Amino acid sequence: MSLDVETRPTTSAVRLEPGLAADLRAFGARDFTACFSCGTCTATCPLVDDDATFPRRLLRYGLLGMRDDLLASKELWTCYHCGLCTESCPQGADPAGYMAAARRYAIAGNDPTGLAGALYRRPRRAIAAAALVAVAFAAAMLGVSGTAPASHEALFAFVPEGMIHWTGVAVMALVAVVAVFGVVAMVRGIARHEGVTWRTLTGSAGRSLAWSAAWSAMVTESLAFKRYRDDCAEDEAERAPWWRRRWVVHGLTMWGFTGLLVATMADYGLSLVGLRATGTPEPVWYPVRLLGTIAGLAFLYGVSVLALNRLRRVERSVQTSEVADWLFLALLWLVGLTGLLTELSLYVPGGASFGYGLFVAHVALALDLLVLLPFMKFAHVVYRPVALFFHALARARSAS
Amino acid sequence: MDTEERVTPEEPTDARRRIGVYICHCGGNISDFVDVAAVRDAVAGDPGVVHVETTLFACSDATQHDMIEQIHQDGLDGLVVASCSPKLHVPTFRAVARRAGLNQFQYTQVNIREQCSWVHSDDRAGATDKATGLVRAGIGHASLSVPLDPVTVATVPAALVVGGGVAGLRAAVGLAELGLGVTLVERADHLGGAVGELGTMFPSGLAGRDLVAQLVDEVAARPAITVLLETELVAKSGTFGNYEVTLRGPAGSEPVTQTVGVLVIATGFDSYEPALGEFGYGIDGVLTLPEFTHLVDSSSGPLTHAGRPVRSIAYVYCVGSRQPGGNEYCSKYCCTATAHVAVEVAKRDDRVAQYHLYRDVRTYGVYELLYEEARKRGSVYLKFADDEPPAVTREGDQLVVTTRDTLTADATLQIPVDLVVLVTGMVPTANHDLTSLLKLPLGSDGFYNEIHPKLRPVETVVDGVLIAGASQGPKTVSESVASALAAVAQSGAMLLKGQAELNPLVAVVDDACAWCGACASVCPYDAIEQVEIDGRAVARISPTACKGCGGCAPYCPNEAINLLGVTTDQVQHMIAGMAGDVHEEVLVS
Repeated sequence: MSLDVETRPTTSAVRLEPGLAADLRAFGARDFTACFSCGTCTATCPLVDDDATFPRRLLRYGLLGMRDDLLASKELWTCYHCGLCTESCPQGADPAGYMAAARRYAIAGNDPTGLAGALYRRPRRAIAAAALVAVAFAAAMLGVSGTAPASHEALFAFVPEGMIHWTGVAVMALVAVVAVFGVVAMVRGIARHEGVTWRTLTGSAGRSLAWSAAWSAMVTESLAFKRYRDDCAEDEAERAPWWRRRWVVHGLTMWGFTGLLVATMADYGLSLVGLRATGTPEPVWYPVRLLGTIAGLAFLYGVSVLALNRLRRVERSVQTSEVADWLFLALLWLVGLTGLLTELSLYVPGGASFGYGLFVAHVALALDLLVLLPFMKFAHVVYRPVALFFHALARARSAS
Repeated sequence: MDTEERVTPEEPTDARRRIGVYICHCGGNISDFVDVAAVRDAVAGDPGVVHVETTLFACSDATQHDMIEQIHQDGLDGLVVASCSPKLHVPTFRAVARRAGLNQFQYTQVNIREQCSWVHSDDRAGATDKATGLVRAGIGHASLSVPLDPVTVATVPAALVVGGGVAGLRAAVGLAELGLGVTLVERADHLGGAVGELGTMFPSGLAGRDLVAQLVDEVAARPAITVLLETELVAKSGTFGNYEVTLRGPAGSEPVTQTVGVLVIATGFDSYEPALGEFGYGIDGVLTLPEFTHLVDSSSGPLTHAGRPVRSIAYVYCVGSRQPGGNEYCSKYCCTATAHVAVEVAKRDDRVAQYHLYRDVRTYGVYELLYEEARKRGSVYLKFADDEPPAVTREGDQLVVTTRDTLTADATLQIPVDLVVLVTGMVPTANHDLTSLLKLPLGSDGFYNEIHPKLRPVETVVDGVLIAGASQGPKTVSESVASALAAVAQSGAMLLKGQAELNPLVAVVDDACAWCGACASVCPYDAIEQVEIDGRAVARISPTACKGCGGCAPYCPNEAINLLGVTTDQVQHMIAGMAGDVHEEVLVS
């Protein structure tokens, strides 16, 4: 059975938006107007598919002002930012930097609040906003804090567990709503651009294609980086030891973060079913605690190496950095560090003297990270799998 | 290849002439299609031919040296070189003849490359026959050649410069620096021309008006230069080195006459004026490049047009240029000028979106940097197909340019913009009176034509009339100035010696003339006048005014006119040789 494919008729004209290039410059794509479409980036990019226009075509969209096409391009999110294109660009147009800026632009474009755009255009304001939100959370917690026992560290006696819990739930719900709006906007854009309709996905053949695409997007690519390891990391082994390779480091960060999420959920789950109350002291080997500790260490290692690599510019992929990159890394690192130190404070003598402060900082920063998720680089955890889904779907459709 | 390169006939059949013949391979350009050895063998026994050989490259130093040896050794009094076009190597072999002590006009060039091997590459036997005929014609011509000496004339150390733009001003300064007197005439009431209206230019960063002001100061500082404004050249007589020119000033003033050695014509260009409706010309917000440049040059701060801010611009290139049936040439300055103005706009406000809709970008040499800078500052270049030019329309208050972009998967794009700039090129100045007065030839593009773009870039077929600047074709300011300086150098070469040698290949009248005036009526150079000799009215041809075109000779009912170097007898000999009738009686007639 053939699938319904609605491609845009070639005769219909695209209305350009002349301000797009200047907008993208404001999002950090400073050099891309030097591009004269020679296609060297396409020739060197390991991710180029059969149509052989990636990433050149995306630069063209930005240059000309084809905003809808840019926002609706799934290819934008398939890029791993290896930096080969920028290294080989004869015009110094920094295609990789452009792709990163265009992703920021897409995050802002899908964001219904307009907050993301405001933060990306004014990096200093973004730093201030992140700091302010964290301080606000901390102040709120300190405002309701009880007495801090000095003899032993009782964190939830200091800040009520319920408050943290419900604040977390509220923030997550808020973030979820914003993220859903963003994802829906993105899905509609890409689906229209790709000619994918609901009918396409719900037919019997369509359903199996959709499932395999979803598996590929979520598991093979998002969790296991198959294409990166297959296509993009060919020469990385020669340049970096395994413990510094990008996919290992990014994997430890992501898996560590996921492990922490699972541990938190499990902790809450155990208290829900009445097995143990949140905040009950446990030995290190207690399974949930052990998972959290190991995940936390992996996470902190990953983030630290990412930050160090970026700081030392060890790779062509981190030759240039934007405030957006640093803000995301800094928040992750601070959350990880304060968390680990808080845990440490539970086990070292006299830990209570600094444990409470760290704990408040940790919770405030974690909430900060969560609140800003849809507006900062963190949003890629939502948008990238969606784009990868459409990418895998298109591949599957062209193969079938 | 030949087994024996040289053939020397045992006994010359014509004792009167001793002619050497060289047949060139041109490294294969000729010998691949013409059996040069067969040609050599065919003409070896011809009357007057005492030496004939084939040579790989006749123009090579070694062969030139051999020719000189041969001329000395055999006492040759005629030289025939069968090789390429006379345009290429006549000066070369004339020099060989001179160095060998032979009169340079006793050498004959035969073209068996452009006129034979290249056009008959499919027919070796036919090409060989034709080459033989052509060489025989050359031998026939050489056998009647006579020594001729250049005509020497005294020259006036002064020049007339027509046109007070950047080229004319620079030429005037240069001529004065060489010690020549200069009269500079300008039709308008001020100096400066097109450059005088320009703002900053690339790469100097200097404003056109300032550059012109500097040149005007330089002109004013030189007493040898006389500037006449609102003045035109209305008459010219005399011959090279001694032209009498009549200059008519503002209404009411008396025309003045002057004698000058040379004329430098630097009358510039006009800008192409699009027809109403051509790419939307006439719609508010659709400007030509000069109009837009003026808008940018005459304002500062954020760009506005008609009181409204300009946030986006589309440039449509090649308007009026490279059009079949119209101006087919490329004006070659407009791409650069547009890149320059786009950079100026971006410097003022880098958020202005600038779309360049082009056919080909020609920003050569150092101007490549400007093209690069324009792109780096945000200009986007979109190529459109020759047969699918962009369309400029207005939708309500909004200008929209529709085009197709190859680099975006051939997508049809609608670009909403605040301004459309039609990138118009240069067209020849409306100069009909001056052109016909000076009898200057125009190229197919309507600009003045030089003799050779590389070898004689500022000379025209009218001796002593030089061209400079954009009157010759589209040029940038620096190219205009360079051509002005070339005209200065050429004027110096012509005038500083105080005398000049002219080509002696001119028409002459013999006693058979009975003055009917037919020749004078067809002479395009006014070189023929009626004189009285021994009470008889006859024609006299000025050897300095005559260009040797030969136009008069066929009109003479008495066959009294001959063109030196190509006399009637010589032509008949050539025809006979070409036809293969090499008879004694023709030779001795």
